[in-house]
Amino acid sequence: MTPQTTTIAASAISATKVYGSGNDAVYALRDVSVDFYEGQFTAIMGPSGSGKSTLMHCIAGLDELTSGSAIIDGTDLSTLKDKSLTELRREKIGFVFQSFNLVPTLTANENIRLPLMLGNNKGDEAWIQKVIDTVHLQDRLTHRPSELSGGQQQRVAVARALASQPRIIFADEPTGNLDSITGAEILTFMRKAVDDLGQTIVMVTHDPVAAAYADRIIFLADGHIVNEMTEPTADRVLDLMKSIGH
Amino acid sequence: MFRIALKGILGRKARLILTSLAVILGTSFLAGTSVFSDTLNRTFDNLFSDVFKNVDAYVRSTQVIEADFGQEERQRISADLVSIVESVPGVRDASPDIQAFARIIGKDGKPIGSGGQGPPTFGSVGEEFAGALWSTAQGRWPVGSTEVVIDEASAKAGKYILGDSVKVVAQSGSREFTLVGIASYGDVRSPGGATFALFDSVTAAEFLTQPGFIDAILVSGDGSVSDAKLTQAIQDALPTTGKTETLTGAEITLETQDQIGSALDFFGILLKTFSFIALGVGCFVIYNVFSISAAQRQRENALLRAIGASRKQITRAMLIESIVVGLIGSIVGVVAGIGLSVSLTALLRALNIDLPSSGLVVSQNTVTSTIVIGLIVTVLSAILPARRAGKVPPLAAMRATALEIAEPGRKRLITGLLSIALGVAIIGAVVAGASNNYLGIGILFVFIGTIVLGPIIARPVALFLGRPAARFRGVTGTMARQNSARNPKRTSRTASPVLIGVALVTAVTALAASIKGQIDDVFTAQFKGDYAISTDARGFGGLSPSLAVDLNKLPQVEKATGFGFLTVKVDGRGQYVTTINPKTIEGLWDIGLINATYADLKTSDMFVSEKVAKRRNIAIGSVLQTTFGDGSTRPLTVAGIYVNNEIGDYIANSKLVDGTSIIMFDIGVYIKTKDSADNAEAFAALDAAVTKYGQGELLTKQEYINKQSGQVNQLLGLIYGLLMLSVIISIVGIIITLLLSVFERQRELGLLRAVGMTRSQVRTTVRWESVITSLLGAVLGIILGIGLGWIIVFALKDQGLTSFKLPVGPTIIIMIMSFIVGLFAAIYPAWRATRVNILDALNTN
Repeated sequence: MTPQTTTIAASAISATKVYGSGNDAVYALRDVSVDFYEGQFTAIMGPSGSGKSTLMHCIAGLDELTSGSAIIDGTDLSTLKDKSLTELRREKIGFVFQSFNLVPTLTANENIRLPLMLGNNKGDEAWIQKVIDTVHLQDRLTHRPSELSGGQQQRVAVARALASQPRIIFADEPTGNLDSITGAEILTFMRKAVDDLGQTIVMVTHDPVAAAYADRIIFLADGHIVNEMTEPTADRVLDLMKSIGH
Repeated sequence: MFRIALKGILGRKARLILTSLAVILGTSFLAGTSVFSDTLNRTFDNLFSDVFKNVDAYVRSTQVIEADFGQEERQRISADLVSIVESVPGVRDASPDIQAFARIIGKDGKPIGSGGQGPPTFGSVGEEFAGALWSTAQGRWPVGSTEVVIDEASAKAGKYILGDSVKVVAQSGSREFTLVGIASYGDVRSPGGATFALFDSVTAAEFLTQPGFIDAILVSGDGSVSDAKLTQAIQDALPTTGKTETLTGAEITLETQDQIGSALDFFGILLKTFSFIALGVGCFVIYNVFSISAAQRQRENALLRAIGASRKQITRAMLIESIVVGLIGSIVGVVAGIGLSVSLTALLRALNIDLPSSGLVVSQNTVTSTIVIGLIVTVLSAILPARRAGKVPPLAAMRATALEIAEPGRKRLITGLLSIALGVAIIGAVVAGASNNYLGIGILFVFIGTIVLGPIIARPVALFLGRPAARFRGVTGTMARQNSARNPKRTSRTASPVLIGVALVTAVTALAASIKGQIDDVFTAQFKGDYAISTDARGFGGLSPSLAVDLNKLPQVEKATGFGFLTVKVDGRGQYVTTINPKTIEGLWDIGLINATYADLKTSDMFVSEKVAKRRNIAIGSVLQTTFGDGSTRPLTVAGIYVNNEIGDYIANSKLVDGTSIIMFDIGVYIKTKDSADNAEAFAALDAAVTKYGQGELLTKQEYINKQSGQVNQLLGLIYGLLMLSVIISIVGIIITLLLSVFERQRELGLLRAVGMTRSQVRTTVRWESVITSLLGAVLGIILGIGLGWIIVFALKDQGLTSFKLPVGPTIIIMIMSFIVGLFAAIYPAWRATRVNILDALNTN
């Protein structure tokens, strides 16, 4: 599959992130430039410490770059103050984390609508119903997270990420805590969100099987982009990983 | 295990500080109040040992009448005795002493010094005396009937300089004197904020009290004989008919110190009681903090259990921590308490109560008892959480989240309900006629039951109270509501201190409202006049009896009548007797006479209230042997019984002291104006008459009634002030719990921030959770408090309190205050919550 459109949803330009200073300085990202296209499912891969999570956090407005810029929907994040940045995350970004995705005091339904409610926004009800249908959560809406299985919790998280029709969804190891069958289910939903609903997704993972669901894979090592692959399969990903030494 | 415990403490300094804070507050109030009352005691002890420092012997009358509240009225002695004393061998100098009411009027026409409940305003003798403490800072001592000396502080307040004409009001009326000197008292400008006008002894007697009579004789010896011998020699020299006694300087010092000491003791006990209540409230906070930290350390403890630590060791580690916290907290508490006491003293000085400084009194006893009590309270509060911590299964280490087991059990429900039922049963028994003494136990059981039930009630009530927040505050309100209900045990433990404080405040308020309501009703029904002149100086000066006479001459006045009062012995017991003028009281004041009229009250008669008549078996025609201040005893015949005893239990005709040496003054004058009189004109005329005497306050009927019930407010204010200690601890309790909850919910907060919750929304969530918790305590507290108030009013029905009044306004104010307390307590925790680092929070696993 090739991108249907070349519109850029988010990008990093010369992104550099340094922890500490002087001799103790550790480079998490070195001069990384990358574009994420609309309607595409991109996976970021790399070993621990490669900077893949840092890249995602910086583009998603959860962390700040030391230099370079992160751009979402044409806005340079470094120009925003905390309040505008928070609002941008609320309106233009969806998140799926590895674990602890949901607010324990809210029902599944409230969790799905959380970003919309925080913005005092009713949202597009027809769209929300479609999202709930897609992730098969109709009969779990009044349950609280403690009453849901791990897979169901992640489905609620995916639904939340989709509910506000964000420009881009960032998923950080969304299947990391799930068994392979449940994991596959979640990845299928994400795939469907891109194919059927036209969403843009960026997923950080170290699992070649998960990465194979993506349209495009970016490989990071030591803070650099070291390779890129389109239309991946699990085997090709594994081969490439071996060839670059991991 | 000790080392693990110690590491645990040092590893989490924030937790240590928070836990210690609760201990520090509780113990600092305890230490502070005890240092303050010790210091006050020492100050007054010193003050009075100073007063009599150079006095070696003291001569006074043996005739004394003691009445309620430690009041006593001692007869005066003849001024002629001074010369007899002076001629006794061994006497260097003797000075007549008079202490009476006198008020210095400032140049602006306003009296100097506070009227009413403040420090007294004295008139006294200022003469050259070897044992005197007064010295002239400027000018000289007064000589003759036109000269006066005043204390430095009054001179400054009144902007008086030597040579000025000073108006002084005393019992006999007001007069102008020439200021010939300004006096200082030891090293202070005026002792304890009192004002002094000093005259020569003849003028003092004539102007302040009674010509030719003095209160006592101060004697300074020449050192040739011991004080005891000197005292004996003086006593022997005085005529036995004079009814005098002579005390040594040491004896009179001790006696005065004892008198003031017992008054201060009462104050000290009051302070101590409320600081113990505060400490009790603090226990909840300490218990809560230990419970939360045990829950937050569940995984850590489970890990220790998994690798082989025994239950006992886990429990012991936590108890060791509580000992360290208790010790550190109590020691800091003592230091903070000393600071608190210093600021209380500074506050008094700011209120112009200038006490001679004698230094802070920090007794060994205060320090040890505070530390021991603080330590015990802390360890006791930690026992339950420590035992619970020991019970954690090793498997809990593997669980994903540390959650306090929050399901309220059936056992709790039964215990709580039983306790309340028992309490209600005891109260019921009291209502049905059992002794009032059991009331406290009943109330205690109801309180305990409510607190035991707290975790069960907390969830539904918090959810209910949180409804408006969820309704109007959107998702942040919803989350606040859910957060306040998510751990009912914690919420109820946090709300309990608020509950106790609010319950006490509400009960006291309800009681005060009932008393005020009753005073209002009674005075409205009994006082038939239009105006009243009141004076605060009961027992120490009052209104001149000629004021009422003058007022009756005014064209606008239909009638004016004065009430006086006397301290007498009726059948050997000290009593207050209200004196009235039967001619003018008719139609002004309704005391509910049974089968008698005011006209029946002759100077050889007495009226007695129905209550006393019943209790003492007195009927019309009974004869009461009444001993007066001059030592004379007269039989008075009961000529009437009356129902309304608000003005006193004994009433006599004011003319009965005519022709005796007893000085009478009015404590109130009541006026009815003519219907035809113009209101403004009448007021102006009355005001002019009152001003002429320089004393008393002219009030309309309503103002007068308000003033009567307003006296309750003063006591109420004091109790509110003392309950503030508990309120402060409750606030700190909420702050600590919120902070710990915020730490515990870091990940949740990080998630919320990531998906788009702004900092201000985070604050809103914490704030509303705090408000809901505070209101939870307030609502339950108000319900308990109103019940408590009703019970107390009921118990006081024998004291004449008949109707319970619901304090609607104050209750609303308490709710609003609790709301504000919630907002206030949330400030810091809410700020902390906004500082949660999103990435750190999300990465913690």
